[in-house]
Amino acid sequence: MKYHVREVRVVDNVKTGGDIYLLTLAAPAIAAAALPGQFIHLRCGEGLDPLLRRPFSIYGVDRKNSLVQTWYQVVGKGTDLLRKAKAGKTLDVIGPLGKGFFTDIAGRNAGLVGGGMGIAPLMFLGGELAQNNRVHSFFGVRSKAQLPPGLSFPTPLVATEDGSAGRRGLVTDVLEQELQRQKMDILYACGPRAMLQQVVKLAQKYDIPLQVSLESAMACGVGACLGCACEKSGADGESWLKACQDGPVFWAAEVKWE
Amino acid sequence: MKPDLTVFLAGIKMKNPVMTASGTYGFGDAYTDFYALGELGALVVKGVTLEPRRGNPPPRLAETPAGLLNSIGLENPGVEAVLKHYLPGLSQAGTPVIVNIAGNSIDDYVRVAERLHASPVVKALEVNISCPNVKCGGLAFGSEPGMASQVIGAVKRHSRLPVIAKLSPNVTDIGEIALAVEEAGADAISLINTLVGMKIDIKKRRPALANLVGGLSGPAVRPVAVRMVYEVSQKVKVPLIGLGGIITAEDALEFIMAGASAVAVGTGNFINPCCCREIIAGLTAYCETNKIANITALTGAAWRYDDGSC
Repeated sequence: MKYHVREVRVVDNVKTGGDIYLLTLAAPAIAAAALPGQFIHLRCGEGLDPLLRRPFSIYGVDRKNSLVQTWYQVVGKGTDLLRKAKAGKTLDVIGPLGKGFFTDIAGRNAGLVGGGMGIAPLMFLGGELAQNNRVHSFFGVRSKAQLPPGLSFPTPLVATEDGSAGRRGLVTDVLEQELQRQKMDILYACGPRAMLQQVVKLAQKYDIPLQVSLESAMACGVGACLGCACEKSGADGESWLKACQDGPVFWAAEVKWE
Repeated sequence: MKPDLTVFLAGIKMKNPVMTASGTYGFGDAYTDFYALGELGALVVKGVTLEPRRGNPPPRLAETPAGLLNSIGLENPGVEAVLKHYLPGLSQAGTPVIVNIAGNSIDDYVRVAERLHASPVVKALEVNISCPNVKCGGLAFGSEPGMASQVIGAVKRHSRLPVIAKLSPNVTDIGEIALAVEEAGADAISLINTLVGMKIDIKKRRPALANLVGGLSGPAVRPVAVRMVYEVSQKVKVPLIGLGGIITAEDALEFIMAGASAVAVGTGNFINPCCCREIIAGLTAYCETNKIANITALTGAAWRYDDGSC
């Protein structure tokens, strides 16, 4: 059996700021197999409302202690239930699911661009890439409280909407400034669509390969329901990209942006 | 002694009455990491049309209380691609493969049915005359007895395979449609497809689905489905496949006692990928506990309380 199914123990579930929480799970099978960019599909409660699982990017993995982390914002019924899950509780989790980031690089300048909760998968990615590469990260959030805890790579350049940390303004402006200063070999981005569209433009302008992680509502998470269709670039109008199975990580050129 | 879960339906022998619902299991490839297809009573694969269909634009999903609205719109690669790329891999599935078919015209249905004769893998056709997510065809054929009868009759005349009619609950009189498709030669009836529903995104002040409306599935629709199975099973002679919000063995037993010979699991697979396997185990346990030698004995067990007022 490829996936670890169900019965994962909550080790910790703590607020990191505002309405954002860091959930730590004891999940040996997932910890052993997880790659940056993959997600877990989690039932937030035991009842039938909310009915569906929720996909969460993997935020961090501690292979030695068999721990897996996700970092989530309380946005609705599901995450509000999840917020109340105490240490020791068992959660129903499947994963790791999806296709992760391209990490087969060494000695490179890798740029990570995250907006809001889109920072989550980049935290796992940054930790992995930093072992063999120079990681430069650019995080955009509303306010200081939305910044992620526990960095395992060099300090990010931060942009906040309210100016409470880093520079007031857009993360893509901070990114462009840095791209004018030094060459990046590859970019990775996750965040709101408007931010991704801007990163796509910058990657084209500075001729840098770019991978994006797309967010989508999902039902099954395993390619069965076709609910998470994302538009494909190019002339092939016959099919879609499935965020759950073909992604959530894509090369920017695979995705239709307009 | 281990209870016998075997059921015979539309000329197919199934080792247990638990099937997958079309459109929730891909072409049998989605859940093989969780358990083997051979454990299923039967595999019903995604709806297939003559030409490839792109389906509807996203958002295609909206969650509702204990329910799921979808507007996938019959996205599929078309019958030729299904014959070439998907069905051959199912020859060792270890379970009967049933292909769900849909079309825009009676001729479409007939041609898909005829093309599927080319595959030795296919054991029956499930004719979808109930998809709420496509503009023409689908539901239009299933909401009027005359049309339903014409589609099923035409497929039946041109196909050597058993034909299962999948009916829509979005009708005034389900019994009338069921009798019409039985008369037209249907070998079994699947009840129910999704209920047409809608959700409004109050933040955006617009429908949550790009297609505006979608098909509601999940536990929210189960009582509607159980009622229809209960009613139709007492009107027709052909066996019924009950579906609509089944997640547990208890849910499946409701349908069986209401009159279904088999059940299909759809949205339940999304909630619990091991749903079908656990239902099969739960049915076995129920029969053991209640000393039921053969599960067929439970079909229609609830009928006897009917005083005719339904």
